Amino acid sequence: MAISTQEVEKIANLSHLRFTPEELQRFVDQFEKILEYCAQLEALSTDDVKPTYHALTDELETPLREDQVKPSLSTRQALANAPDSTDEYFCVPAVIE
Amino acid sequence: MIHQLSIRELRDAITRKEFSITEVVQGFIDRIDQQEGKIRAFLSVSLESALAQARALDQKLAQGEIQNGLLTGIPVAIKDNIVTEGVATTCASRILENYIPPYDATVVRRLKEHGVIVLGKANCDEFAMGSSTENSAYFTTQNPWDLERVPGGSSGGSAAAVAAWEVPGALGSDTGGSIRQPAAFCGVVGLKPTYGRVSRYGLVAFASSLDQIGPLANNVEDVALLLQAIVGADDRDSTSVERPGEDYLEDLGKDVQGFKIGVPSEWFSSGLDPQIEQAVQASIQKLEGLGCSIQEVHLPHSEYAISTYYIIAPAEASSNLARYDGVKYGYRHPNAANLEDLFRSARSQGFGEEVKRRIMIGTYALSSGYYDAYFLKASKARTLLKNDYLEAFKEVDFLVGPTTPSLPFKMGEKKTDPLEMYLMDAYTVTANLAGIPGLAMPCGFSQEGLPIGLQIQAPHFEEAKLLRLAHALETELAVQRPTLAVDR
Repeated sequence: MAISTQEVEKIANLSHLRFTPEELQRFVDQFEKILEYCAQLEALSTDDVKPTYHALTDELETPLREDQVKPSLSTRQALANAPDSTDEYFCVPAVIE
Repeated sequence: MIHQLSIRELRDAITRKEFSITEVVQGFIDRIDQQEGKIRAFLSVSLESALAQARALDQKLAQGEIQNGLLTGIPVAIKDNIVTEGVATTCASRILENYIPPYDATVVRRLKEHGVIVLGKANCDEFAMGSSTENSAYFTTQNPWDLERVPGGSSGGSAAAVAAWEVPGALGSDTGGSIRQPAAFCGVVGLKPTYGRVSRYGLVAFASSLDQIGPLANNVEDVALLLQAIVGADDRDSTSVERPGEDYLEDLGKDVQGFKIGVPSEWFSSGLDPQIEQAVQASIQKLEGLGCSIQEVHLPHSEYAISTYYIIAPAEASSNLARYDGVKYGYRHPNAANLEDLFRSARSQGFGEEVKRRIMIGTYALSSGYYDAYFLKASKARTLLKNDYLEAFKEVDFLVGPTTPSLPFKMGEKKTDPLEMYLMDAYTVTANLAGIPGLAMPCGFSQEGLPIGLQIQAPHFEEAKLLRLAHALETELAVQRPTLAVDR
């Protein structure tokens, strides 16, 4: 299973990640090896098999709760870890000229 | 020596007023002072606040304001991907280097309500991705049995701290073996509970359909004590499940006559270290001696476990880790040119190599054109792997085998080849994919003096019976601990 550098670049783009050319090359090699290993799944017949997204679907109903106001974090607490904030907002570089 | 006592022994000693809680906590602080330079199990310690809490608890006990409870005054370590109010929680990542959580995880809150004192935050692989703690952005933890070897991972700091008697118990998290594998490598007991048994609120998400918090300690009873304190439904985790009235302690010590043990032939295939095979087989004979019946079973899709896991877990991770954008918390590059650049620079410089690799694999597996071939295919394979267990558990009560294919490896030995590291998880990932509980416990030591871990897996929500079996085996084996490398 060959994967091109362009393809890996595209995935990096989707992931909001940047790589140096050397990192990217190392990455292409490892990626290829991992995908090659995972390609063994192709041999598995799964035509009539339903996918599992949650291990205990039978156990769990969709839990609903009353729509009630409960104590939650204050604005000050929620903003405390932000690299940049004002009184009530997270700050980012301007997006509108 | 205080630090060598079990949680149960400490609790009894506190009750009998042989030691004050302050003396207990001071005993472990002295041990940390003495050993931590060699082990490096902790990313941060809160020793002064621990002592202050200990004194306050002593005073309340003396004045009769509180009763001595299940875990009153017991010091523990918490893996650094579980949030602690006011105490840095980094996930061993640069991207969360300065993150101070404004709240406690439900498990931490529950432990504190039982009087537990948190001594520190344990090192791990970055965002719990790895099997050796070598992916920690800060440093690698040493295995207390051989300082040149890894403690396993990702909960390697938790396991090493318990093995080295720096704390009598710890919490870890297990997404594909991250409690059980380091427990095996460090010679301690570690339990991954049934998915939903323990609230994940405040566990920094890696793969939400697989993650589960669980305890590590030096014996089965202590693991049961910690589990008792953290289980139960939580309004803040809609996947958590209430099973009222369950007691993990009352059946410990009862016999295990007639328990049906399945031994999956697939777990004893090539690639298993002969010393591990021998120790595990000897333990299975001991179980037979205890009156259990032993039979071979098959998990026919086992060979697909690693592929399935290493598609599903990264896919979920790529989605969960999208939240690290340099806006709400975490690292931000000071000179970002625009918003897009801000996202990219924060993530590219904040995440380590393995985390980036998994985000990339996961994004690929979910991307248009590859979703069916990878994510959907793996999710169907997950059904087959789960069905293997359901079939096996029609015939037997438990599955018993090794925890890991190899003994603890040397630092750097597997770091260059990610796939080789992934293969270490062959016996553990399936429990997460199926959501069943799994326990790792020491069953012997190799010729080199390295611990060997046995694994027991059970059907959903059978923790009480699982702990009963593990306790019986532990008593029967009576494994003699050699002297720790750090104490020689």
